Amino acid sequence: MTPAIYDSSFMIYDLAATSVSLLPNHQSSFILHQLWGSAWPAGVTMLGLALAFAIVLLIARTRLKVEVDPRVEQVAGLLPQAGCGACGFAGCNQYAQAVLNDMQLIGKCTPGGADVAGKIAGVLNVQIDNSGPPVRPVVLCRAHTADRTYYAAYRGIQSCTAANALAGAQACKFGCLGFGDCVRACKFNALRVVDGLATVNYRKCTGCAACSKACPRNLIVMVPFHQDPMMTVACSSRENGKTTRAMCQVGCIGCGLCAKQSDAFKAEDNLARLDYARYEPSGQNETACNKCPTGAIVYRGKSAPAPRPPKARQAVS
Amino acid sequence: MDRFVTLLMGFLSVVLVNNFVFTKFLGACPYLGVSGRIGKALGMGLAVTFVTALSGTLTWMVDAWILTPLHLEITRYICYIVIIAGAVQLVEMYVRKFFPSLYEAFGVYLPLIATNCVILGLCLFLDIWGTDNLLEAVVLSTGTGIGFTVAICIMAAIREELALADVPEALQGVPITLITAGLLTLAFMGFAGMIK
Repeated sequence: MTPAIYDSSFMIYDLAATSVSLLPNHQSSFILHQLWGSAWPAGVTMLGLALAFAIVLLIARTRLKVEVDPRVEQVAGLLPQAGCGACGFAGCNQYAQAVLNDMQLIGKCTPGGADVAGKIAGVLNVQIDNSGPPVRPVVLCRAHTADRTYYAAYRGIQSCTAANALAGAQACKFGCLGFGDCVRACKFNALRVVDGLATVNYRKCTGCAACSKACPRNLIVMVPFHQDPMMTVACSSRENGKTTRAMCQVGCIGCGLCAKQSDAFKAEDNLARLDYARYEPSGQNETACNKCPTGAIVYRGKSAPAPRPPKARQAVS
Repeated sequence: MDRFVTLLMGFLSVVLVNNFVFTKFLGACPYLGVSGRIGKALGMGLAVTFVTALSGTLTWMVDAWILTPLHLEITRYICYIVIIAGAVQLVEMYVRKFFPSLYEAFGVYLPLIATNCVILGLCLFLDIWGTDNLLEAVVLSTGTGIGFTVAICIMAAIREELALADVPEALQGVPITLITAGLLTLAFMGFAGMIK
């Protein structure tokens, strides 16, 4: 095959010669004409091709048009795009699609919170009731590694779900295992395991409840934080007081001292519980917190004070 | 009859013996990127087959009927790129309309077919092979796409099995995939020389 370059240069000469013979023969315009003569067939071909494809694509566009509700993109743009799944859909785009069909779903995006819910309502042209406190997770255990009792060292798969399947990974059947299943579930980097205890960073937390679903011991509950800090009984042990004491230095023994101080507390099944709806920062609740013999009542939230150290450690230090 | 045999041999050649992925190492990005699940791999393979068939044929026509008579072979690359980009756009619209779930699953890989080197490679090879009639061009273009589908599906099937295998820690993920790709290429070397 003849090299392509040779062929086209041949034609340059040819075309230039014709055009030059038609036009005044100036030396300076000769090169320009030569260039023009070689450029136009290529230009016309390219333009023709591009035009042909443009027409084909234009026809295809009208024929194969997908009707997408423009609001889907609008709503998807408002969402945090974290893909956490708190809403119950596979991802933010699926939720955006669903929320347009069913506006009951508006408040389901917990990471976005009331702010995003309000904006989505704006897109859908509806009014929503934005009142109601933010919901945040509370870990119902406050024991660090030093506070707990272990019968044997667990060396199995380093996950709470695996350790929970085995009896005796730690003495307490209710407490935090500290392998961080919740940490892995959190898309917002708001959880850490500190000395064997899952700890929520409330500044980063969005309340998506992924950690609550991940915990195999159901230790993480979602609490409406109408007060911050919020008070809670950070223990889940339903063993009797003696057994709990033997296993953990900071467990609730169900003595009921707190319930005697404040009506918001109630002790049953060897475990005290706070009615979060009735909690308010009052002197009675403060006393209940301070009277707790094991220090199981603590504050949780953005501005929570550090919990009281357990008695045994107090004596040492 | 003779012509049919030539076509069949040509087809088998691009699918097995001169498979673009195994012998020319073109199209390695989707070959490694979208071969995690066999369903997705098959979809990708079919989309690429459609694009190669369409753009291979179109570029051959443009080359034989427009560029060669006008002595504009020099503009081949740029013309081919325009045609391939157009064909990919067409496929994208088609998939979006009729297979929305596949469209979601492909994500960025669908428009990236435009930069899949199998396709530009095929269009240029059609000229190097000296394809001189339309039917041959159609068969070879389709065959190339099918060859790619075969390669990516075999890879996906192996990788699905690998997900359950006990791979040494140092080789998990990309290294074992590349080793698999190398072994597959070696296996396909067995076909070399079967068809001239």
